[in-house]
Amino acid sequence: MHVFQLFINGHSLNSIEAVDTLLKICKENLDGNYKLEIIDIQKNPDKAEEAGIIAIPTLIRMEPAPVNRIIGALNVRSRVLAGLGISSMHVTA
Amino acid sequence: MQLKKLETGIASFDHISHGGLPIGRTTLVAGSSGSAKTLFGAQFLAMGIMLFDQPGVFVTFEEQVDDIRENLKSFNWDIDTWEKEGKWTFVDAAPKEEIIIAVGDFDLSAFRIRLERAVEKNKAQRVVIDSIGSIFTQFHEETHAIRRELIQVALTLSRLGATSIITAERLEEYGKITRFGVEEFLTDNVVILRNVLNNEKRRRTIEILKFRGSNHEKGENPFSINPEKSIVIIPLSAMNLQHISSNERVTSGIPALDEMLSGGFYKGSINLVSGAIGAGKTLLVANFIKGIRERNERCLLMAFEESHQQLYRNADSWGIDFKELEDEGLLKVICVYPEISSLEDHFINIQDIVKTFKPDRIAIDSLSALSRASSDKGFREFIIAFTSYLKHHEITGMFTSNTPLLAGGTSDTEGNISPITDSIILLRYVEMSGEMQRSIAVLKMRGSRHDSAIRKFTITDEGANIGKHFEGISGILTGNPMLIKLE
Repeated sequence: MHVFQLFINGHSLNSIEAVDTLLKICKENLDGNYKLEIIDIQKNPDKAEEAGIIAIPTLIRMEPAPVNRIIGALNVRSRVLAGLGISSMHVTA
Repeated sequence: MQLKKLETGIASFDHISHGGLPIGRTTLVAGSSGSAKTLFGAQFLAMGIMLFDQPGVFVTFEEQVDDIRENLKSFNWDIDTWEKEGKWTFVDAAPKEEIIIAVGDFDLSAFRIRLERAVEKNKAQRVVIDSIGSIFTQFHEETHAIRRELIQVALTLSRLGATSIITAERLEEYGKITRFGVEEFLTDNVVILRNVLNNEKRRRTIEILKFRGSNHEKGENPFSINPEKSIVIIPLSAMNLQHISSNERVTSGIPALDEMLSGGFYKGSINLVSGAIGAGKTLLVANFIKGIRERNERCLLMAFEESHQQLYRNADSWGIDFKELEDEGLLKVICVYPEISSLEDHFINIQDIVKTFKPDRIAIDSLSALSRASSDKGFREFIIAFTSYLKHHEITGMFTSNTPLLAGGTSDTEGNISPITDSIILLRYVEMSGEMQRSIAVLKMRGSRHDSAIRKFTITDEGANIGKHFEGISGILTGNPMLIKLE
């Protein structure tokens, strides 16, 4: 089970791109076996404060351990997959 | 029109900056590692809260919040309480333990929003961002993006209207302002902190490089980190020559010497006694101290060579009772090794004593010993700052300095100090027919005539005894006395 938090800022270009890419990965590579929380810092700044977020977008992989962070618009899919530790071979039809 | 400034409350910084930091603007504070940038920023906030009731926001990109709280405790700044009262707010942007990788374009809007919220929430008038260089190391592959984003941060700060400090790392003490070139967009106000190792001595200085559209003192001013007061700046460049020059005279404690000086030292003058070891310098100091009796003055003696006991015993042997003077509260003797602290700290220490004891006279025995605690340059600056301080307070000073040669010669110490002294008294050995004799001469007496004779000087049980001048002998000052036949 993969658990993610994705911090975005409203409808900024980078935010939209990151959400799109991540949703695609979740659907195509994780077979629906994931939990994703999308947090808009405009609406929920306290959460950004708690997590110490500086950059937007920031993706936090909470599980599996160890926790890691990817910042940026996530536009190079192969690197995102590598960063999240997801095998790109695992593609559902 | 001059820009308005915000008083910082940092000792003497408001003095050298002609009133503080430009209000509502951002000042770049750059320095090498260990140059007290973080402390300067923290002190700016602490003083704001303590002296002016102005809340502040501290953003850390480098040190962990807990470490900062812990480190600042030693200055008795109660940050925990200030945080609870909403006067001090941390924005934690320090590196996390987690691995961070960057994939694609990003911005720092999350940081900007957090900063803005913090400032609005506690109505901060002061903001510190420490240190901006670390954000480049956190996102080391994206320096271009970071630079672009930092411009946004600078704009946010100026929109918020708080007076802010951004600290930045530099690699060399003299060279490029900052490591990552942030001065490109934070150019208006720049302060540089230095921590230079020179001749095995550490020397900390602060320099205001520029305040756009506003005046400030130029050049480096030494500062010290005091355990109670944090950063204390010694404002060299702001020293001026507008002292009160008194025509009043005070006694040297030796009537015959007063006569040589045409009536004694001027009140508030700086007087140097130069001589080799055992030539009678401390004796002159003891008499200078005894001289306070005449008008019930108070004297502070800073002894850097001898212990209390030695001093009291020696004075006793010349018939001067230090103990009695001390018991009456007229004399304060401080014996310290010059090496125990830096010159700046000695200076701050003396200032503290002057504030409470309020002496009319200060004797320093000896300046040469004190000069060991610093580099040449640092010592020269100390002398300028110190003499100017004494003159400002109308304190009459007597400094002694050791000459390396028994007869004749001068010392480096004198080279530094003689131009700013009001009088110089030379004590020299004279070798005559297989005997060491002592001599005394007044080399210089500003604003007055003085005796030009080189006189015999003897030390007896009653103290100093000044005799006739050495007739028919020349070459005493060069150390080669010769008997000249008188025609």
